[in-house]
Amino acid sequence: MKLREIINKIFLIEIFKGLFLTLRMLFSKPVTIQYPFQRRKIYPGFRGRHALVRDPFTGDGKCIGCMRCTTVCPSRCIYIKREKTENKMIVTDYVIDASRCIFCAYCVEACPVCALVLTEDFEYSDYMRKNLIFNKEQLLKNWDEFASKWPHDVYFNKFWQPPGIDPSRWPKTKREQKPIPIKRFIEIKKEESDESSR
Amino acid sequence: MKTLYIILVATLKTLIYFGILMLHVAYATYAERKVIGHIQLRLGPMVVGPHGLLQPIADVVKLIFKEDIIPIKVDKAIFRIAPLISLSAALSTFAVIPVNKNWVIADINVGLLYVIGIAGIGTYGIIFSGWSSNSKYAFLGSLRSAAQMISYEVALGLSLVGVILMAESFNLTEIVNKQGEYWYGMFLFPQIIGYFVFVVAMLAETNRLPFDLPEAETELVAGYFVEYSGIRFSLFYLAEYLAMFCMSALATICFWGGWTIPPVLIKALPVLGFVPGIVWFLLKVYFHIFLFLWLRGTLPRYRYDQLMAIGWKVLIPLALFNIVITSIFKYYL
Ligand code: SF4
Ligand code: SF4
Repeated sequence: MKLREIINKIFLIEIFKGLFLTLRMLFSKPVTIQYPFQRRKIYPGFRGRHALVRDPFTGDGKCIGCMRCTTVCPSRCIYIKREKTENKMIVTDYVIDASRCIFCAYCVEACPVCALVLTEDFEYSDYMRKNLIFNKEQLLKNWDEFASKWPHDVYFNKFWQPPGIDPSRWPKTKREQKPIPIKRFIEIKKEESDESSR
Repeated sequence: MKTLYIILVATLKTLIYFGILMLHVAYATYAERKVIGHIQLRLGPMVVGPHGLLQPIADVVKLIFKEDIIPIKVDKAIFRIAPLISLSAALSTFAVIPVNKNWVIADINVGLLYVIGIAGIGTYGIIFSGWSSNSKYAFLGSLRSAAQMISYEVALGLSLVGVILMAESFNLTEIVNKQGEYWYGMFLFPQIIGYFVFVVAMLAETNRLPFDLPEAETELVAGYFVEYSGIRFSLFYLAEYLAMFCMSALATICFWGGWTIPPVLIKALPVLGFVPGIVWFLLKVYFHIFLFLWLRGTLPRYRYDQLMAIGWKVLIPLALFNIVITSIFKYYL
């Protein structure tokens, strides 16, 4: 053992081992993904830009103004303005401050009517902080943008049915949640192109 | 008339040599990024040109058009001169380095001494820049550099004594020719200890990892050239890579037989004899450059006292031992 250590020291065995390791790495395949040209596959459960699901039947958001998402949000970045009419709650504005969000998706899990979603869209950086505070209109528009790019006919978010909680304890609406049909809003797209030309 | 002719030819040679050298330096930076990138399973530069091949040119353009900032509190004259000293010292060494049979600008008899001496002058550029910058990082970097150079220059010189003993000459062309007289054709084999000492000292001499303490990015930011920007910064960069090429060329000439290949190989495969010498020379130099990059991708930086201990306690005794052994063999055989 002693002799071996001396030999190791004199002939720099460790350094040569290191050199051969790096040489092997030199000829193995790089792991780089050349981002703007190549994209990584996005897995289910990815948490990206927020959106309010546009109900394919009414054309409006599904939110009922129950305030659960505001309550559960750990970073307190959801603000809801609502008005009470005789028998219905009307959500007049719904704001998510994405610059403060930690993308825990608790809001998505808590919502009883599956009105919220964290889409797979992650390229929404902006020069202005103001533009990262999404209001209701913007959130619905986020959904339209996402839906228009979604390749399948239906969409279902993993967090609409919270994993790890017994299904009997989910609200009924959550238990009965089906994948929602995707309706691509052509008129919204036109609006978008107006905006970009502006 | 004759003098004029000689001057003209020398100027022309120098210009050609200079152009080729600059191209090599530019692509050495590219090679460095590519090699280190692939060692770390990355790709390195990929965007400018196919496989990033035009990256060095883009870098040069960028560096030339950058603002040249001279901080208020620096010693302006020395601050301006320092990179030029480094660069001109690094460039002058190439005047005596032969790249092929008789392909040399100045074939002088003390070529080896000249190279070592001029390479030592490059240190002044580093010390001046550190001193004039008026910044603690730069100053520490230059102090380290001075101490490192003193200890490693000794080992570098001593490691070459074995070669000088065997070749019986300081002339670089002569050293190469002498190697061809042995059947193995390279001093690498009888001088393996000397070669080892030379390689380690050469890493320290050029401030490359694992001995890049003068510029140690993690502690001194960039060491002695931390206050420099734009074109002056790139002059230091240039000097560093030129020094790498100079040391690689020296290793090639003194230990790897320069532009020749071992006579045994030619006897075994006569075709090899028709390959131009410059090809062998460049291949050997590229190998050494690759060695620089490879070591950089592998080894972590040594601590400062370790660096000194290796220099004085290991390399210098080894080099002296090598000289004694070589002299004994030379005397009795
Ligand atoms: S993902 Fe988390 S932090 Fe972000 S809005 Fe929803 S609950 Fe709040
Ligand atoms: S939990 Fe759902 S329904 Fe309730 S306020 Fe939030 S988004 Fe609206």
